[in-house]
Amino acid sequence: MTDTSPDTILEMRQIAKAFAGVQALKGVSFSCRAGQVHALVGENGAGKSTLMKILAGAYQPDSGEIIYKGRRYTSLSTREALDNGIRIIYQELNLLPYMTVAENIFLGREPRTGLGLIDTKKLYADAEAILQRLEMPLDVRQPVGELTVARQQMVEIAKALSQRADVIVMDEPSAILAGHELETLFSVVESLVRQGVAVIYISHRLDEVFRIANEVTVLKDGQVVGTHPIEALTRAQLIQMMVGRSLDEAFPHGQPRRGAPVLTVEGVTTAAVRDIHLTLHAGEIVGLAGLVGSGRTELARALFGADRLQSGTVWLNGEVVTLSSPAQAVDAGIALVPEDRKTQGLFMELPIRNNITLTVLDKLTRYGVIRRRAEAERVDQARRELAIAMASASAEVQYLSGGNQQKVVLSKWLARAPKVIILDEPTRGIDVGAKFEIYQLMRQLTEQGVAILMISSELTEILGMSDRILVMRDGRIVGELAREEATEERVMQLATTGSLLPATTELPGYTGSDA
Amino acid sequence: MDTARPAQTPFDRSIVHSSRQFMLRYGVYVSLATLLVLALIFTPDLYKAQNLTLILRQAAQLGLVAIGQTLVLLVAGLDLSVGGVIVLTNVVIAEVSNGDNARLPLALAVALGLGALVGLANGLLVTRRNVPPFVATLGVLVFITGAQVAYTRGIPSGFVPNALNVVNQSVGPLPVSFLIWAGFTALFSFLLYLMPYGRRIYAVGSNREAARLSGLRVNRVLLSVYVLCSLMAVAAGIVLSGYVGYIDRYLGRGFDLDSIAAAVVGGTAFTGGRGGLFGTVAGVLIIQILSSMSLLLGLNVQVQFILKGLVIVAAVALYTMAARRA
Repeated sequence: MTDTSPDTILEMRQIAKAFAGVQALKGVSFSCRAGQVHALVGENGAGKSTLMKILAGAYQPDSGEIIYKGRRYTSLSTREALDNGIRIIYQELNLLPYMTVAENIFLGREPRTGLGLIDTKKLYADAEAILQRLEMPLDVRQPVGELTVARQQMVEIAKALSQRADVIVMDEPSAILAGHELETLFSVVESLVRQGVAVIYISHRLDEVFRIANEVTVLKDGQVVGTHPIEALTRAQLIQMMVGRSLDEAFPHGQPRRGAPVLTVEGVTTAAVRDIHLTLHAGEIVGLAGLVGSGRTELARALFGADRLQSGTVWLNGEVVTLSSPAQAVDAGIALVPEDRKTQGLFMELPIRNNITLTVLDKLTRYGVIRRRAEAERVDQARRELAIAMASASAEVQYLSGGNQQKVVLSKWLARAPKVIILDEPTRGIDVGAKFEIYQLMRQLTEQGVAILMISSELTEILGMSDRILVMRDGRIVGELAREEATEERVMQLATTGSLLPATTELPGYTGSDA
Repeated sequence: MDTARPAQTPFDRSIVHSSRQFMLRYGVYVSLATLLVLALIFTPDLYKAQNLTLILRQAAQLGLVAIGQTLVLLVAGLDLSVGGVIVLTNVVIAEVSNGDNARLPLALAVALGLGALVGLANGLLVTRRNVPPFVATLGVLVFITGAQVAYTRGIPSGFVPNALNVVNQSVGPLPVSFLIWAGFTALFSFLLYLMPYGRRIYAVGSNREAARLSGLRVNRVLLSVYVLCSLMAVAAGIVLSGYVGYIDRYLGRGFDLDSIAAAVVGGTAFTGGRGGLFGTVAGVLIIQILSSMSLLLGLNVQVQFILKGLVIVAAVALYTMAARRA
């Protein structure tokens, strides 16, 4: 697959990389040619970013080699990558809004006059030249903050390309753009290609891939599924390559024990979700799927009282509940394990103990004083229940691994014996072992009659754990799939089009991931 | 991709970083001990009973304010209005009682009531209107100073009742004002370290969003902390009024920044969630002893300020360095 045609500028051979025992890349070979767009697609965690970070010199590969412009490297340093014209354009924009386009492009490298002052004339002339070369219709004197996001992204690209570039990696450049702004991006890519630059284009959106790529490589679980010229593939084939069932991930089995309805939501509308109807039963796990921005997290926040309800009614165990603050939701028996444990779930500089017992302090007091022994017992119980690996409960929680941190967040809620637990991306960024333990815990909880609503961007997780799957799109629930009828293709169809179409119909695009 | 992040070892790394942890936790006590030894060499007069009593009296005034300031800093806030509350207390005592001991309880009640209002104003601005604490409390400071000048027409009148002179007496070797400080320190330590309320303060300061999503009533915690801080400033104002025995509209000057300095020197972080009252007690003593030593050495006021500034900056620099690497 890695044919070495004369215009191949970059070839990565058998690249392998492991992090703390997790094999992120298992011998990936990848090559790209000057003047072509090579799309790199795959699910989250497939290894796309790791591969590109190795190219940029941010990571050193464990094995494999990189052949770039005819030279062999066992690894690149960031310096080598930059000096040799390898540029990466990340999703996030790093621009100073009050400075002009030209000032941003040359930030830190401004041309100087003989006196050491900034040579403003040359600054603007040089910026003008760069923008002309890239065929970008920007005013060099305009403050960046006044530009649209698409044009800001142009500035970011111009900044990266103000020095010579031979290979450009664009990491999900379209993720921040609205539909009509895409054309702007495409025209920039096309002008780069005309100038003989090799573009590596990472995207989840298949219509873009078919629109601008010459070749596409699909990565899955750290391996190359295949590299093909784009004309040789249909959308259906490409999707098949991307989602082909993973054999590595295992899910604990459990019989669904669906009991009485616990949480019933009718017509809930907030700023971000519209007219939500759903029912959670005791003992079931309901998966909530959808693209980023489809309103999954916002729905979770609404049910937890964190976002204001504009209308709608929520029943908990047959009684109407008011959810105008998380405190009320917690009192009612709802728990939320938020999306980002570092910023929303944990108190990083506080002891593990304080993190675990914060939600149950009032149950651990006598005459208003926290009983040390009762608290120690509670911490010990949590440690045993969840197998939290810690040397001392007094250690700051920030020193725990991601998996153990997530267990601490979970243990915070378990002591309150909630009736409903909302898990937002419960296994994001944690290793396989801890993942499985969390899945097992979820099963145990359902056996105790807890209702679980699980938001996840990992389709395998949604399919592997859910008894039922709800799919969201544009702030609405657009479909429900029973465990038996759910497939990755069906979930994706619902998430992207809002309805189930016959298999032959074209899909407008695919995104199965977070931002 | 997040899955590719190298996992940290599950062990308690604070053991490895024990020296830095020690610095963070006990550095202020080491500094205080060092200062006391230095005093033994350079200013032995400091250890005269008379000087020690004086240090404890003055430390008590700053210490009372610093208790409240520490609470506010722990929730990642800041209270610049404490100096204004001290002056307000002094003026209210003199104006309302006009030196009449019988009217002192009424005067104190008015002072405490106004103090609570100031705290409420600070707290509401911070919680309801999301005004940054620096701006909110600065605004309130300017407001109460202006209101008080308007009310007194710039010339506060009245006398401090001589009953307040009690704070200048001693029980055995210990000044009454010092005992008041010790009592409040014990009370607030109890609140902070043994009761759920204290845990909530640390949680809110450490991560406000996580505290909210853990079901804590965050605004209630913030509001109560600002009110407590203002009430402690009233307490300091009462002790200070008794100490000087007259009305003085510049009385509270410097207490805002000094109380922040004492807490920060004592290891309480501006970012919230880190620090505590015992460190602040040590911080108060360091600041007070430093200024007494400068006096005994015959240094100018300017030099005293320079010294104080150096100590504060050095302390914060050390803590940030230790915290970053910890």
